[in-house]
Amino acid sequence: MNYFVGIDIGSTTIKIALCDEDGSLAAHVTVPTGSHFHQNAKAAFTGLLARESIQQEEVRYVMATGYGRKLYREADEIISEITANCIGATKIGRENGEIRTIINIGGQDLKVISLDTDGHVKNFVMNDKCAAGTGRFLEMTARNMEMDVMELGDCHLSATGPPITINSTCTVFAESEIISLLANGHGQPEIIAGIHYSIARRVARLAKRIGVEETVFFDGGPALNRGLVEALENELMQPLSVPDLPQVTTAYGAALLARESVLCVEGNRYV
Amino acid sequence: MIESERQARVKKSTSLHLAMEAAETLRQITEFPDNPESMAYFYDLYQSRFKDGMILEQNGKKLVGTMCLQVPDELIVAAGAVPVRLCSGAYAFDQAGGDFMPAKSCPLVRATMGMLQVNNDTMKDNLSTVVIPTTCDQKRSSAEMLRNMDYPVTILEMPATKESDEARTYWQESVKQFALGIQKICGRKITAKSLNAAVRSKLEAGKLFRSLQQLRTESNPIILGKDIWLVSNSYFFDDPDQWCQAVKGLIAELENRKSENFSAINRKAPRLLFTGSPPIFPNLKLPILVEQAGGLVVADETCSSQRLLHDAVVFDEKNLYDMVPAIADRYLKPCTCPCLTPNTDRAKKILEMVRSDRVEGVVYQAFSGCMPYEMEQKAIGDMLSREGIPMLFVETDYSPEDQGQLSTRVEAFIESIKVKRRKTQ
Amino acid sequence: MSSIRRFLNNSDINRFRFYFQLFAFVLLVYGGYLAINIGDQLPTFACVFGDKRGGSCYLMGFQHQMTFPYARLFSGPGIGVLIGLATFAGFFILFNKAWCGFACPLGAIQDWLTILRRKMGIYYSTYSEPVFKGLSTIKYILLALLILIPMGIGNSFFGLPTLNHDFGVPFCMICPGRTLLPLFNGDISQLAIDFSSKTKMVFSGLGMGITGMFLAGAFAKKRFFCLFCPMSALHYIFSRASLLRLTKDGEKCTRCGNCYRVCDVGIRAIADDLDHKNIVKDDCMMCLKCVSACPEDDCLKATYLGIPLYESTAEGFFRRRLKEDD
Repeated sequence: MNYFVGIDIGSTTIKIALCDEDGSLAAHVTVPTGSHFHQNAKAAFTGLLARESIQQEEVRYVMATGYGRKLYREADEIISEITANCIGATKIGRENGEIRTIINIGGQDLKVISLDTDGHVKNFVMNDKCAAGTGRFLEMTARNMEMDVMELGDCHLSATGPPITINSTCTVFAESEIISLLANGHGQPEIIAGIHYSIARRVARLAKRIGVEETVFFDGGPALNRGLVEALENELMQPLSVPDLPQVTTAYGAALLARESVLCVEGNRYV
Repeated sequence: MIESERQARVKKSTSLHLAMEAAETLRQITEFPDNPESMAYFYDLYQSRFKDGMILEQNGKKLVGTMCLQVPDELIVAAGAVPVRLCSGAYAFDQAGGDFMPAKSCPLVRATMGMLQVNNDTMKDNLSTVVIPTTCDQKRSSAEMLRNMDYPVTILEMPATKESDEARTYWQESVKQFALGIQKICGRKITAKSLNAAVRSKLEAGKLFRSLQQLRTESNPIILGKDIWLVSNSYFFDDPDQWCQAVKGLIAELENRKSENFSAINRKAPRLLFTGSPPIFPNLKLPILVEQAGGLVVADETCSSQRLLHDAVVFDEKNLYDMVPAIADRYLKPCTCPCLTPNTDRAKKILEMVRSDRVEGVVYQAFSGCMPYEMEQKAIGDMLSREGIPMLFVETDYSPEDQGQLSTRVEAFIESIKVKRRKTQ
Repeated sequence: MSSIRRFLNNSDINRFRFYFQLFAFVLLVYGGYLAINIGDQLPTFACVFGDKRGGSCYLMGFQHQMTFPYARLFSGPGIGVLIGLATFAGFFILFNKAWCGFACPLGAIQDWLTILRRKMGIYYSTYSEPVFKGLSTIKYILLALLILIPMGIGNSFFGLPTLNHDFGVPFCMICPGRTLLPLFNGDISQLAIDFSSKTKMVFSGLGMGITGMFLAGAFAKKRFFCLFCPMSALHYIFSRASLLRLTKDGEKCTRCGNCYRVCDVGIRAIADDLDHKNIVKDDCMMCLKCVSACPEDDCLKATYLGIPLYESTAEGFFRRRLKEDD
């Protein structure tokens, strides 16, 4: 069996996806990036192969993407995360209709990609230098609430009152705002909902710059947060297509591109 | 601390930053494989001019600083002085300018002002006057600041539109007054003969630059855009004759490359057009990123490069009464600066370049704070999308901090052009 | 072929035009000495009052034919009128407005006056846009008058009495060609006021005044008289059918205005009109200075039967501009 690998080295986590000859997702893993991301990536990759009992020789092609892509020297090729994301989302989101817009929230960035009818990148915008409205913001919130970042979504959904307005988008100022809200006795669920809406508004503003067309695909780790999904659907005034594994879309897209690269060289053997 | 000592320290530290910045840009530029050998002249030129603060050469002549390409420098040359365009691309000067300029002002204006502030002690005496045309708001307002720094300032009144006969007449009169003023400042009368010589000198440069541009758009890439900016930017301050000599050498080398079918980079590199706020050395950040990512900038619509020398003065009668208005026309009628309204000529020009230079994508740079280019971005983008040409809009400044983010965006843009190309083939 | 084209495009049309005008002037004013007669329906001012002319201006015969009563005009002799008009159109279609820029003797005189002024270093005058527009309608009024006045001789309008035969060729009476061109044959008889009748006195007086204005005007302003020329108005009717064309590719144009700058008759459309391919306007004299001043490849071109004769090229432009005083 031949496998094709996509390694997405992001600011917070490393995602590795394997696809088989048919192009379907065979295995995946997500590990924290840490400070020695190169070693961590290699370790995670070896671990994944061992877990799935795949021999090193069966790996035909490795495509690296994400911020760390250029430093992962074992890769056969590198590709920008925007292209990889677009390929992965188009494939995964296919059952929910034609994907025309992708919203991706990563650990430190925010991307909105608009696709043409053939599924190719038409235009895209990213946040500027600032990490406001990204995964980092959610992590900071979870820390202040003393809960795991994965619990934020359920906490939001348990809110009984309307979300509380958070004025600052800057992570640093928002943090002090949250602390004082907590000190003033506001409920955690409402504050968390407020934070989700503040992120959602920021995303919506960015998305409007290039125009939002249906179907909208939402991925990246924070897409696991159901509260954020709800807030974003409300702000965009559109339903979102959220995959089961939103964090590995980009890695999967890179794996698909790895497969395509081999196909280009060897003809249509694997189609 | 005594003010003069503080000033000296600022100057020292800024000069060091400038030298570092220039060296870094040159390193990135020369790191590309297969740079033309004749580019060495330009690499050395920048190396020497930026190694110790900003060096203005006078050679015993009077220097006249200009703040925009709208200044008819033929008149300055005819009056016996040397024009030098002050528009700066240095982040070091931008930071110096940040001390007294608004945070949201245009980095180009801020850097230029920073340069003049930091080098106030020497430049004030070096420059016989600083000519500021009334183009964009920020350049206009900077005139006041310069006066407060005791610089001699000459205002060149420019209309905000070019369509009407009245605007043309106004500008012609304004240029005439400028000619009268500049000859007083320089202490030498402009004659038909001296003006004709100045016009010819710029025409000669324009002719050479057109040949160079022609070679840049060959379907087999023989020179990269980053080098073209170095060539055009150096016209800001280099001696025109030496500049022409160096460009002639470069053209000869490129002709040779052409006949040998030699490629400077991958022949399939996506062909791009660069437009918007002007890249000026050392801030060639975005053009360099684009070419590092595998793109090729075959044409640009910027006032620091292709717009600088393209247009040519024509007059019917070799008398000052016809030559001066003819020079005025050269600087207004073909101008595509977005500070003019209506500015349909810019869109038209971009479209024509896209077609004739077989451009596959457009990179649009707007400096944060450069309102005219930011405002026009949407109209240009819409027009290009109707033509099926993708455009990457980048809002940035002189700081190198966003390079990581930008490179991802630029790479994705170039990948998307490649994907599109594969699809249509 | 391409090298011939390159040679032509690099050439200096102004110099060629200067010598061609001289040649045409000699031919039209002195051709008679060699018994040359190109034709009697020429679309240019080869003045009939000059004895040694090498051809004749159409306007004289045309005005004369207009004096026919309606009965004659719309019967057999009318065919003669049509043949005359067709011959005129035939001549015109061959060279379009280049008749004005390259052949017209009055045009040549004006251009020589311009050269004189330039050598003296005297500034030329220009019109503002609205004035220009207003003045350029005068030629159509003159054209209408030169048809209607002679018609008033053979016919009565609205029961008014018919005009006498002194009104026969009203335009010739006021045309500076009649007073000036015979001078080149040594005939000064036209340079006088004719007191033989009241009508003639008024007309020839007017003619003398206009001749003075012609000379003074052409000295101060390039091609001053052409703006009022009824021949030019008559040309314009047939201009579209001509074999010689001046075309513009609006996409290549940068609106730099060089063409407008050098245009002797101040046609702004040459720089600003981006939509029309055919760029010959009613005041145009096809001197092709605009083509030689255009620095963009293939933007402006003169074509004959679709074959390019003279095209704007960057190469030619810089060659002409940079060699001028070497």
